[in-house]
Amino acid sequence: MISRKKSFYILLSCLGILILSMSVFAQLDPNPNSPTPVLLTDNPTGRAVASLAGKTPKSVVSSSQRAFAPNSDVILYVSDVELMEGEGHNAFRVIARDSQNRMYRFPVTGIDRIDKKKPVFALRVNLRDEIGFWPQPSPTGDLIVQVTWRGLASNKALLGFGKTGGLKFEPQSEKKADDDIPTTEYGAYRWDGDRKRFLEQATFGPTWELDQRVRRIGIRVWLAEQLAADYPSAGNPYPEFPLKPNNVQIGCPFPTNSPEYTQCRWDHYTQIPLMNWFFKEAFYGDPQLRHRVAWALSQLWVTSGQTIRQSSHMIAYHKILSQHSFGNFRDLMEDMTLNPAMGDYLDMVRSTENNPNENYAREILQLFTVGLFMMNQDGTLQLDGNNDPIPTYDQQTVNAFTKVFTGWTYCNTGCPNSTAGANNFKDPMVLIQSRHDDSAKTLLSYPNAVNENIAAGLDGNVELDLALDNIFHHPNVGPFVSKFLIQHLVTSDPTPAYIGRVAAKFNDNGFGVRGDLKEVVRAILLDPEARGDEKTDPQFGKLREPVQLVTNFYRHFNVVNEAGNGPSDGVVWQLPQSMSQLPFYANTVFNYYTPNYVVPGTSLLAPEFGIMNTGSSIARTDAATIMAFVPLEVDTRNPPLITAGTSINIDDLIQMSANDATGNELMDHLDRKMMHSTMSPEMRQAILTAMLTIPSSENDFRARTALFLIASSSQYQVQR
Amino acid sequence: MKESRRKFIKKAGCSLGMVTLATQVQHFGRMTALAQKMGERKGSLGGSGYKAIVCVFLGGGNDGNNTIVPNHNDSSVSNYSDYAASRSAAGLALSQASLLPITVPRMGNLQYGMNPAFGPQTGGNNGLHELWGTGKLAWAMNVGTLVAPMTKTEYQNNSVIKPSQLFSHLDQVNQFQAGRSDTFSFSGWGGRISDQMTPGSNPSGLIPMVTSIDGAALFTAGQSTQPLAIADSDTGLDEVLNPIGFGDDAISQARFQAYNDLRGMDLSNDYVAAASNVTDAAIEANSALATFEEVTVNFPNTSIGEQLHQVARLIKKSGDLSVTRQVFYTERGGFDTHNGQLTNQTNRLTEVSQAVRAFYDEMVVQGMANDVTVFLMTDFGRTMDPAGSGGNVGSDHGWGNHLFVVGDSVNGGDFYGENTSNGTPFPNLIIDGPDDATFSSNNARGRWIPTTSVEQYAATVARWFGLPENDMPSVFPNIGSFTNTNLGFMQ
Repeated sequence: MISRKKSFYILLSCLGILILSMSVFAQLDPNPNSPTPVLLTDNPTGRAVASLAGKTPKSVVSSSQRAFAPNSDVILYVSDVELMEGEGHNAFRVIARDSQNRMYRFPVTGIDRIDKKKPVFALRVNLRDEIGFWPQPSPTGDLIVQVTWRGLASNKALLGFGKTGGLKFEPQSEKKADDDIPTTEYGAYRWDGDRKRFLEQATFGPTWELDQRVRRIGIRVWLAEQLAADYPSAGNPYPEFPLKPNNVQIGCPFPTNSPEYTQCRWDHYTQIPLMNWFFKEAFYGDPQLRHRVAWALSQLWVTSGQTIRQSSHMIAYHKILSQHSFGNFRDLMEDMTLNPAMGDYLDMVRSTENNPNENYAREILQLFTVGLFMMNQDGTLQLDGNNDPIPTYDQQTVNAFTKVFTGWTYCNTGCPNSTAGANNFKDPMVLIQSRHDDSAKTLLSYPNAVNENIAAGLDGNVELDLALDNIFHHPNVGPFVSKFLIQHLVTSDPTPAYIGRVAAKFNDNGFGVRGDLKEVVRAILLDPEARGDEKTDPQFGKLREPVQLVTNFYRHFNVVNEAGNGPSDGVVWQLPQSMSQLPFYANTVFNYYTPNYVVPGTSLLAPEFGIMNTGSSIARTDAATIMAFVPLEVDTRNPPLITAGTSINIDDLIQMSANDATGNELMDHLDRKMMHSTMSPEMRQAILTAMLTIPSSENDFRARTALFLIASSSQYQVQR
Repeated sequence: MKESRRKFIKKAGCSLGMVTLATQVQHFGRMTALAQKMGERKGSLGGSGYKAIVCVFLGGGNDGNNTIVPNHNDSSVSNYSDYAASRSAAGLALSQASLLPITVPRMGNLQYGMNPAFGPQTGGNNGLHELWGTGKLAWAMNVGTLVAPMTKTEYQNNSVIKPSQLFSHLDQVNQFQAGRSDTFSFSGWGGRISDQMTPGSNPSGLIPMVTSIDGAALFTAGQSTQPLAIADSDTGLDEVLNPIGFGDDAISQARFQAYNDLRGMDLSNDYVAAASNVTDAAIEANSALATFEEVTVNFPNTSIGEQLHQVARLIKKSGDLSVTRQVFYTERGGFDTHNGQLTNQTNRLTEVSQAVRAFYDEMVVQGMANDVTVFLMTDFGRTMDPAGSGGNVGSDHGWGNHLFVVGDSVNGGDFYGENTSNGTPFPNLIIDGPDDATFSSNNARGRWIPTTSVEQYAATVARWFGLPENDMPSVFPNIGSFTNTNLGFMQ
């Protein structure tokens, strides 16, 4: 007798074959998977085949030397990889661990193909940690080394450092890494894991409908749609509020203890309307990718509701972010520079020739465009003769830009949105030439610098254009912006090769245009380092930022209002707030976390860990509890902050739990949905054990318990 | 189906209503402010030999030039006229009448003034100015990031290495908190003190030696030890790391077991392992914090007040926690006063003064005032030259700055630090003068070249704390560049 479950699977797979045979024609995406690299070893000992780097080897050579001195250049051998045109040594990393499990990263400085027929490459590796969290490893015994490439890890092997020995190590078969990758063809759908990962990178979380749609049309077609889609979605236009006076009591002429006053204050003098709109768009909007990129850009060109109080002010700012998310970075630079919220936040609006203010000049250079140090096009730092980084600019440059940005103010009369009694935060700032410092200036200096010297006596508008061009054409901008966006969408610590490929698109979109963010975003999402069914590189991925944690969870489970009969009101900002990320309320211009944050005790670049500590880790657990078990309830006070509430609809999960009292059907589903089928057997077993303590009659409770345990786990909280 | 969920909530023994938690957007505390379960009261004064240091970080860079102002006419050191000459026209000068007078032995008993924010507040306490008079508060003058001591000439001809990226927030905060400016550091001096002293002073490890009440700060990160980070006193210690929703019933316990077990799995991805490590530390500390005793003194209902309130609770509990040395980190942001400084700085310094005073008073009540020292840090000082004018007037990023230290072990009532160009620790206030870090008078803004390094200031605190002399170089690797490592403000 065939069990119900088994017959279900047979049906499912027949259906799958049918759909697959159709999708062969519709599905134009190439295979997203790269081959797993193999680090060649001396199989019995598990020791990496290695030799001191001298001349380029012509074949695999293992020298008689088995241990290598610190800072020496060593050849390791990698096979099975397929390199794209232009892909070189900076696509590879060598991760090493010592007997104390301290982590190091050795730079790969060269690569040569040494076999014309087989894809075998000699990697030149410098045995000097490039991260510097720990002192350099001591040359007292074996290290365990592993090569990573495109988010995939090779087998591990021993490498003698100073001398051999000192580590317990089970030799791994060279081919083992390959064999470990489970198949991810569920119901015979190809590349299910890759597609779900793609949606985590490009949206606020995969929904069932979106996942099905992308499966049918392919990620490239969907991307093209998204890059052309109207924004925001038709059902969720930007909230519109008039400009108000600075003084709340004048702007909200009601008794301060009245509901009218409270409502007026929330609407006009907080970012609550923007946050609610933002989450509704994230939950239900179609133009997900633009919403996602605009959110990322809001963490680059940071302003904050802690200073910018009126919702109308911040909404005008957000419109600029979203307008240029797929536009040109140069236009974004200009519109942001003249945006009154930015002008107020970083003081440009009050900077004059006689009373200059350096704030915007300093931060546009340091935080928004070029950064502190000269970079190579792959984002690595250029070093001088003493191995020190080379500053991009100095205080004199900041002084010069300070002068460039003098003389601008709100357009309080004569502009479309000028409003009596209020500062105009909707139209761009305007110049008062008499307050502008029009002395000659020396701006950023770099090879073939554009507009390095500005003549005296120019109109401030003209000068602003020249100065922004000077910044825009600085060679750092491409790698700086590319790395930032990769970190926000895909992985916290991308390889230089990945950064370099995206930066090349920034520098030239293929049609000679620099700064085309549409092509930058496309390049980020289609890069082989981002794509693939499973990522085995131990340093691939990123901690989900609180906003993503919340939106992904709710979108997984058909987010609805409290009553379950309509859409959520989007009032969920309390959840990310509890995890230190209240949207549009960053503590400082440095965002919630810096792009360069390194997890203490590791070598991992991990911006989001800047707000991951003992306290916020429990807040993340609590958020998982709330989202899984409790609706966000409609507010009974007057006025209500929460008007419809938020909850999840898990009728399908309850049914699965009822179908299969062992819990396995439900776990199969949740594994695919939430973790693109990377859940380990141990993890599944631990969850099942907890679930099965609940009586089988309580399928709702069982399902929610599983949701909580997955959502609160580090395995889920790291997007990878 | 709904029933079991309700049952769960009931089992969790608490209301998870979001509504009451959403009253204030600006509040960044934890959402789970559940009803406080006061633990059984028990005496828990730290044993003999207990010491704690408490960092109050003024985020954004407090303007030291309006924190301590000369209030005398002696022209041999900068006087009030020199101060007013730079700041009056733009409206940034404090009036002489408003200054809280202090007489300074180190300055030949000349009179200086503390910002009026340090005075008594109606409905609050007497503030910090009073502690100068009682000898419990000292000022370290013109402190800042340095690679080595440097004169204006050396600054101009680049003959001494400068700290990298002067006047930039992130970099200067990092250097201040790292306790070194000669190279980039992944750890802070509070964390490295913990690395050195944890084996001897916190062997039970119930909680880490370092606690931050303001999230991740480089100051608190060690190489081998990591800090506890908890929310402020809005949440009781018993709830601050206690995950919600777990009751004593078997189902809750099974869920809790699984939640804990999952953190030991799938550690091959380094991000997963890092996240699990953090949560592990939280759950361990939660057990140690299951009960606490409320403090006596009323703390102000401000961010910094509630942070220091939480610190005071932990100190009261230190005996229970078997830790004899503790390092705390608190922070009040908003000192980046490029505009609106007169209002903004005054308001924030008032909060700091009121909160630190309440904390000091509580330490007196606990009998710990001799054993606990509060010290200030901030990004940098600010330009003497105002930014903007009128109601919006502020100041830009500077360098050397004045920092206070408070406690009964402080040699209070005086200025400390190395001498500036005028032979005293108080800098010459002339823009483009001998203490101004400028290359040309064209761009002179009045950024004081520090005469006392962060390391000298920090080492003075650390030595009192009990950091052994031979561990100094581990905590302050560049300390050798400075001759005097004891500024004398600690007993």
